[in-house]
Amino acid sequence: MAETEVSKKRKRPIVRLAVLLLSHSVLVSVICCTAGVFGLLLLPVLAKNTYISENALMPGSASSMLSNQEVSEANKLIKELNNLHSNPLGATTESHGIIAKYMSNLGAQVNNHKFHPQLNQFHPLHFFSGPDSGVMQENSTRSLYGINTVGIIRAPRGDGKEAIVLVTPYNAVKGGVRETLSLGIAYSVFSLLTRVTWLAKDIIWLVADSQYGEYAPVAAWLRDYHTPAFSNLDSLNTETCHVGNNNFESKISYGIRRSGTMAAALVLGVAYGNENEDTLGIYAEASNGQMPNLDLINIVHYLAVHRQGLRVKVEQFHWLLNSKWVKSLGEVFESLGKMVKTLNPDWKLGISAADYVEGAATLASSLYHQALGVPTGPHGAFRDYQVDAITLEFSLRISFDRLDRRNDFLLHGGRLIEGVIRSVNNLLEKFHQSFFLYLLTSPSKFVSVGVYMIAFALLVAPLPVVAASLYAKTLDLNPTSEKDKSATSNELGSVLQSWKWLNSVKTVFVVHFWGATVSLLPYFISQIPDSDPTTNFSVWILLSILSLEILRWILVSPSSHIYGLPQGEWAILKSATISSFFIGLGLMSVINFATAEIGALLMVPMALMAHPLKLDVRGQSLRSILRMICNLVLGVISFPPATFFVFKGVIEGFSGIKAGDFWNWVESLWAWNSATYLYIEYGNIDRLSSDKRESNKDAPLLSCGMLLLKEFA
Amino acid sequence: MVAVFKWLLPSVVLSLLEPRPNICPKMETKKEEKKSKIKQTSSFWVWVTASVIFRLILIYFPKNLNFSSRPEVATPVTSIRRLAEGYWLKQSSMSPYAGSMYHGSPLLLSLIGPLTVKRIEGQPNHLLCRKIKFYSILSLAVTIFSQQSGFVMHLKVFDSILGTAGSLLFSLADVVSAMLIRATGQTLQMSSCLSLKSLDLVELSKNSEMLSSGDIAALVYLWNPFTIVACVGLSTSPIENLVVILSLYGACTSKKLKALSGTWVLNLILLLGNGPDAPPRKLFLQRRCSKGGKNPSSDSSCQEEELFNQSKLPITFSWKPVIHFLFWASIWSVYVLVLCGISVKQNGGMLEMFKSTYGFILTVEDLSPNIGVLWYFFAEVFEFFRNFFLIVFHMNILVMILPLAIRLNHRPCFLAFVYIAISSMLKSYPSVSSRLSAQIYILAWSGILNIVFHAYADLQFSFFLFWGCVGVSLLSPVMHNLWIWRGTGNANFYYATAMAFACFQIVLVVESVSAILNYDRKLRKLFVTKPVDGKS
Repeated sequence: MAETEVSKKRKRPIVRLAVLLLSHSVLVSVICCTAGVFGLLLLPVLAKNTYISENALMPGSASSMLSNQEVSEANKLIKELNNLHSNPLGATTESHGIIAKYMSNLGAQVNNHKFHPQLNQFHPLHFFSGPDSGVMQENSTRSLYGINTVGIIRAPRGDGKEAIVLVTPYNAVKGGVRETLSLGIAYSVFSLLTRVTWLAKDIIWLVADSQYGEYAPVAAWLRDYHTPAFSNLDSLNTETCHVGNNNFESKISYGIRRSGTMAAALVLGVAYGNENEDTLGIYAEASNGQMPNLDLINIVHYLAVHRQGLRVKVEQFHWLLNSKWVKSLGEVFESLGKMVKTLNPDWKLGISAADYVEGAATLASSLYHQALGVPTGPHGAFRDYQVDAITLEFSLRISFDRLDRRNDFLLHGGRLIEGVIRSVNNLLEKFHQSFFLYLLTSPSKFVSVGVYMIAFALLVAPLPVVAASLYAKTLDLNPTSEKDKSATSNELGSVLQSWKWLNSVKTVFVVHFWGATVSLLPYFISQIPDSDPTTNFSVWILLSILSLEILRWILVSPSSHIYGLPQGEWAILKSATISSFFIGLGLMSVINFATAEIGALLMVPMALMAHPLKLDVRGQSLRSILRMICNLVLGVISFPPATFFVFKGVIEGFSGIKAGDFWNWVESLWAWNSATYLYIEYGNIDRLSSDKRESNKDAPLLSCGMLLLKEFA
Repeated sequence: MVAVFKWLLPSVVLSLLEPRPNICPKMETKKEEKKSKIKQTSSFWVWVTASVIFRLILIYFPKNLNFSSRPEVATPVTSIRRLAEGYWLKQSSMSPYAGSMYHGSPLLLSLIGPLTVKRIEGQPNHLLCRKIKFYSILSLAVTIFSQQSGFVMHLKVFDSILGTAGSLLFSLADVVSAMLIRATGQTLQMSSCLSLKSLDLVELSKNSEMLSSGDIAALVYLWNPFTIVACVGLSTSPIENLVVILSLYGACTSKKLKALSGTWVLNLILLLGNGPDAPPRKLFLQRRCSKGGKNPSSDSSCQEEELFNQSKLPITFSWKPVIHFLFWASIWSVYVLVLCGISVKQNGGMLEMFKSTYGFILTVEDLSPNIGVLWYFFAEVFEFFRNFFLIVFHMNILVMILPLAIRLNHRPCFLAFVYIAISSMLKSYPSVSSRLSAQIYILAWSGILNIVFHAYADLQFSFFLFWGCVGVSLLSPVMHNLWIWRGTGNANFYYATAMAFACFQIVLVVESVSAILNYDRKLRKLFVTKPVDGKS
């Protein structure tokens, strides 16, 4: 931007280009925005096939060693646990004992890990806090606790500096066959791995006590694993040693046993399938749109498809699969692809309409989950410690009751896990070779950062252009108006003129500040005891309006009428807003692409269209009225609660929407410190409602600042 | 130790709290103007207090705000943690420089060190005892001094410093430097008014009277997010800034005492190691300023001279003040060096001190990522080229001194700003506050020389520069996070933002220099045309 401005004075070709761009900013923005949306829709077509990038992985190069012997051992464990569940009294402690016993019989080091589930509570400064602050708060809920059982195999060829983690969530109280089966798979692999000679990385098997959700135990264990707590440990030990009435139980220590850094983590789960074949679901999205290295997904996919004959699926938006317009769009792209192919047979853009629909549904869900920032499973906890992790969910064709069928299932699942572990075991460095930033369009297809960034860049490209052109316009405007007056005496005036943008920057800053306040308000509102979501929501709205008025009263009003022409002012204000908005979106795209993309889709049109309503009303031409209507509609739609309700209405039907839903949704978002939450504060529309009627929007800027600091948490 | 305090602190305070020279312009004061002035000053003080309160609020969330471990705030030279470590080493009668932890001045260690005890040990009782002891010694020294000099006021201020934690010291340092900026600004404004009047450019001077640039500059300094962050992050850079500003102030007002303290300060700067090549640059700068500030407003007189006869060089300065200055400077540097020598005598001695302060800064030993441009380069360069490139980089700064001095010799204060900006750009361990102090200074000094403020009217893309700086300075921590915490980015991402920032800074410096040269040209033109009008 600055460069274009600089060069404007000297008339070089590049300058002329810049001037051309600026003078046709409307056209440019329309073209760029359309191209951006089009590019987004094109992404499923542009997806590439995945490939295993790290050579050291060598998936499937060795034949599987898992045999029926391990499977039958695993069956024993499953049977014992299932028997335990038939009489539920005392199942909790005993099941831990049984699992621990089995582990230590295999020669693994076993310990229990007691944790207190942390209520996911929003704290206003959590975004800024460091990693250790979580430990501090732990003494809140003493009465509730869960017990993880951890077994570690020390690698015969390793030095204990690296480890691979297997996680099986297991609810001892109401665990069903599902969970025992996943235990069975893990156990069969574990028992094999105690005997193999090739192991170079330690294996940690974490049986996570999932009575408080699957995420919490894993997160708690990881936190304790990575933060040595010297004082807490003793108290925990003395406190809980007498809990186990079982003789064996009391021997197991509650101290954390550690291995090295984790190379990868696999979370196993079993689901009742209702499909025709055995499938394997892969869940990869961690908090705030972070993804594990693509190689990890690749090896799982490769082994599952080519070795074990499982069908791999990733999450999809099913409602998109049936939607008409996606289908027709797919047909359009199909015919386009065919046309392209006739031009040059080397261009392989062709993709069948059905593939396109599948890809679009997967891509949409991938975008959605990344944007939401809520991890899709316990694997999300690992990503916070830079460990690549995914959740594998097996689902079976028929019920698990038939023993032969179950054995078959255990064998397949176990072999898959064994293969993955063997590949990861080959790694010499941590995963780094393949992509971290990608979107999946199918288990074997991905869109890399280089491709999807183009669409995003096109979408936001109009922002700086429009900002620059608006600013340049006001600069052009001012000198002429200045010359009418006495040119000499108004030196000061011209100084103020050229610094007038500071005033609008101040306004923008105030609005951002208000956004921050509003986004912190729910913390205080949630302290109110015994309140239902609807009242909370209304209190929130009231308070934010109140704070807006206060802020206007304190900060904005005194200076707003001192400077300048109202004519140019809204343009400068808009330009400042757009600049801040551009910076915010740019930062956000680095942090969490999906959030930025969705935010840009919602807000770029609004930012570009924004125009003082008063002028429109006065204008009374068809164009201005159209513009006004557009502004209003866009303003309403991109107001976060409105967006939420519209989306919900589209997906689930408009009946039964309550205002409280939004509150619930917001609450779930803080709980995960989601970046999206920060978008909410962009409800700062119409802040200038009284005098300027400039639709003002905001927040990504703030959100980024907060988010990145939050990341340390 | 007591002697150190006795000598050092009072001299600072003395120079700080001296009633401002009667700056209040004498002009035809209408009542309304006065009223508005009072209103302005009152709002100014409101904002100052607000900024202090804001800082204190932020400081009281030390657990949640990990500013002091951020690479943008804490550099190896300014980090308070390192200082605490050095202090601890010293307390256990080891060399504070052992283990390449601490790299600041030994005097700073005894000055701030005791205040860091709490953060390290976390044992209030013990701390309290020690603090009380320390404070009693200090206040004793102060009392003695204040009795001697008759400044009772100081005691109060000191008590307020002593009564609270060390963190307050930093906010105080900020406030004091803001006050200094304000005072400097007013002085300069007056002198520029005078000079403009003497040139019959009354309208211009009127304009410059209307904007109280000193206030603006001070507020900009106080509310600059970078200063706030540095203050909350408890790096020692607020104190360094204070020292720099103090020396400039001393030079501008050219009071004996202040020149003295300025020189003292200069030496402290040397000891703080305020950047590579600090000695020659700062000395030079100091001399220029003192040269400039020697008579009421030599700033303007030089300029006047130049405007009148461009052929003649503006050499009106006598050698006396320069020699005075050199004399005092040498005395003070010897004095401070002796103090340092005393304090490091038991462990290590002067040689080690030099090695681990200046040596550390000049040879860029610590290559941990910071927002500067040198660490990446020296991490990549081959070992046997290292010395060569060290010389190249440091020469880079030295080379710029002379040409700039020649070109801008009629505006010593602006020259000082340019020097500071350049050195902060090419520093080996810049922190937000010192690196972006270029920004602070550009705003501060631009306010101060409110001529520049006018000149900036020409600065068309100030808007874009502003947004660019905002964007890049936000992007930098994001990239750091991406690289260090998420592991999905790499060092290049982070370094790219550092380079981008350096580019913005260069553009800023170049633009402001050209703006001020343009302004001078305009003045000259006005001056040339005016007499013609009068004749006709």
